[in-house]
Amino acid sequence: MKKSLIIWIGALSMAVLTMPSCASDPDSPGLEYMPDMYRSPAVEAYVDYGEVRGRIDEQKKGRLTALTPPQFTVPYFGKDSALLDMMLPYHRLPNQLMRSTHGVYGERVSQADEYTLATADLLNPLMLDEKIIEEGKKLYSSMCQHCHGEKGDGNGPMVTSGAYAGVPNYMEEARMKISNGQMFYSIYYGKGMMGAHRSLLNKREIWTLVHYVRSMQYKDYLKSGMVTDTTKKS
Amino acid sequence: MKIPENRKGLITLKKFILLLCCVAVVEYAPLFAQGEALYKAKCASCHQIEKNGTGPMLKGARQRWIDAGEGDLIVEWVQNNAALRNSGKSKRAAAVYKEYGGAVMQIFSEVTPEQVNQILDYADAPPVAPPPGTAPGVPATDPNVPVEEDGGISNVWWLLAVVFIVIILSVSGVRRQLKYATSEKAPDNSLSYWDEFKILAWKNRAISGVVGLVLTIASVVLVFQSLGSINLMEDYQPSQPIAFPHSQHAGVNGIDCKYCHNSVEKSKSAGFPTVNVCMNCHKQINGKDAAQQEQIAKIYVAAGWDPTIKPAGAYTGKTKPIVWNKVHVLPDHVYFNHSQHVVAGKINCTQCHGDMKQMEETAKVVPVAELNNVEGNLPLTKPTLTMGWCIECHGKKEVVIGDGSNAYYDEIHKRLKNNKKLYQQYLKDGKLTASELGGWECAKCHY
Repeated sequence: MKKSLIIWIGALSMAVLTMPSCASDPDSPGLEYMPDMYRSPAVEAYVDYGEVRGRIDEQKKGRLTALTPPQFTVPYFGKDSALLDMMLPYHRLPNQLMRSTHGVYGERVSQADEYTLATADLLNPLMLDEKIIEEGKKLYSSMCQHCHGEKGDGNGPMVTSGAYAGVPNYMEEARMKISNGQMFYSIYYGKGMMGAHRSLLNKREIWTLVHYVRSMQYKDYLKSGMVTDTTKKS
Repeated sequence: MKIPENRKGLITLKKFILLLCCVAVVEYAPLFAQGEALYKAKCASCHQIEKNGTGPMLKGARQRWIDAGEGDLIVEWVQNNAALRNSGKSKRAAAVYKEYGGAVMQIFSEVTPEQVNQILDYADAPPVAPPPGTAPGVPATDPNVPVEEDGGISNVWWLLAVVFIVIILSVSGVRRQLKYATSEKAPDNSLSYWDEFKILAWKNRAISGVVGLVLTIASVVLVFQSLGSINLMEDYQPSQPIAFPHSQHAGVNGIDCKYCHNSVEKSKSAGFPTVNVCMNCHKQINGKDAAQQEQIAKIYVAAGWDPTIKPAGAYTGKTKPIVWNKVHVLPDHVYFNHSQHVVAGKINCTQCHGDMKQMEETAKVVPVAELNNVEGNLPLTKPTLTMGWCIECHGKKEVVIGDGSNAYYDEIHKRLKNNKKLYQQYLKDGKLTASELGGWECAKCHY
């Protein structure tokens, strides 16, 4: 009798003790109704392809599916030749110093100081009109404003909160004088402490921002097209 | 009154000291402010005060030039570094140029020698320390406070259950023994607990029948309820390799969601920032305390940035991916597109993700109750990330039509107007919802 009691108690406590292990792994999203319908065999961004349709592939487990496109590939941008022209690979290379300062890996670099050479790039290939300035304002507020400030004075919330220091003021004479090409170069490859923004903005967007920054620097930019020869006349 | 010659000198000295003090008090503050203003306008984008950046740190710059025996040349260097370098009269100039890999400093011929000195005075002055604990933008978090785990039944309850079962069994065992002890009959060892239970149940058939029925129904209900909770994602908060506080980035520092989740307006997925985006700021920001520094060091490892390389850190090229855990997991048989919802639907991020500006921990699937608390959100009832939740919103959300911003909706609207009766019926509640423009068709999301 005593033996059976011990067996009963033992079995029950074993059952109870193993139950908590049924509680889910905090990193698992939980039970799936139909696991074979959860991950598509076609590659999608940010999906773990370690397990597809029940088959486990150790090599693919936890590997990123957000990979960079092969070098020298150009995304499709439609049939507008002006836009296509703008989207072709940028003709200026990063400075060789940028390998260590801006993390330019596995790319061709230039021995020359391309930023200075960009003083010759006067033309903003994007036609200027009110819509572009509006677009620029939207882009600026999400991509630049946190550092450069709403008015371009270098007093964005990042700076005023004390997290970041050393954001230049667009309204200084030296910065008002730089060419459109230099502004593009700085946004594209980064300059000083600022990193490259080419992974966040395409070339058309960068030229839009160049227009917008100019319109902040020069009050009648939209009307006069600013310092004449630096902007394409529409 | 005649003043002795030796006293005269003393008075002049006293006067001089007094004058010096006055000058110091009156002029130091504005000079200091001028230095600060000049530093911010001219130097700050490349030089930090206490850390090497694009250029060397300014604190102690004058001393470094004095140490090199060229203290008088620093003004020349600041004004026109290229000229000084090319003149060949300064070794220090050549050394700095080489140390920074030939990075060229801008020429500041408009800055006067006095102004150069004001800037250097400002750089060498001890910084005004903020009162402890009030560092801007750092939420007071104690890393020692354990994160509360939620979901599942705590082990304590299981332990209690075991204890109770043991107590019940031992008490009943004792009762049984006592029963045999008081009765004349010899204990009947052939009967097991199970047999005794069966006899007891047969004796009280009516009661055990009712109890059995209730238990069966309850367990069926429980099973179906638990089936319904499969894949409920509310509150799902997987661990992340880096403790990323949205409150700090989007809240205090005012970074727009779209800066990091860059493809939200262009693509199906909102986009997860690549580590170069982190480095746009974290190249400079390496953490205010040890806990922050530990987290930010992980970004450096991922980006291949070595902050110890002289003079100001450098990229090494040895990168390592950060493996984040996906929070909002949708099965493949559901199609969801961020750009459709954000651009065409004009839905704010907070509608589905809550107020991330307040989120101090890593991201989670925000429960619908919390979502409803956010101002401007359309109140919903079904759990977040379930189909009920999706179609509830599709049935309630008004679609903006006729402002020319969305050609697709305009076309659907035009066709809808052909069916006057249906159109009137839809307009009874005064708005056109997504579902009335086809947002409830199965193939919109499942195909």
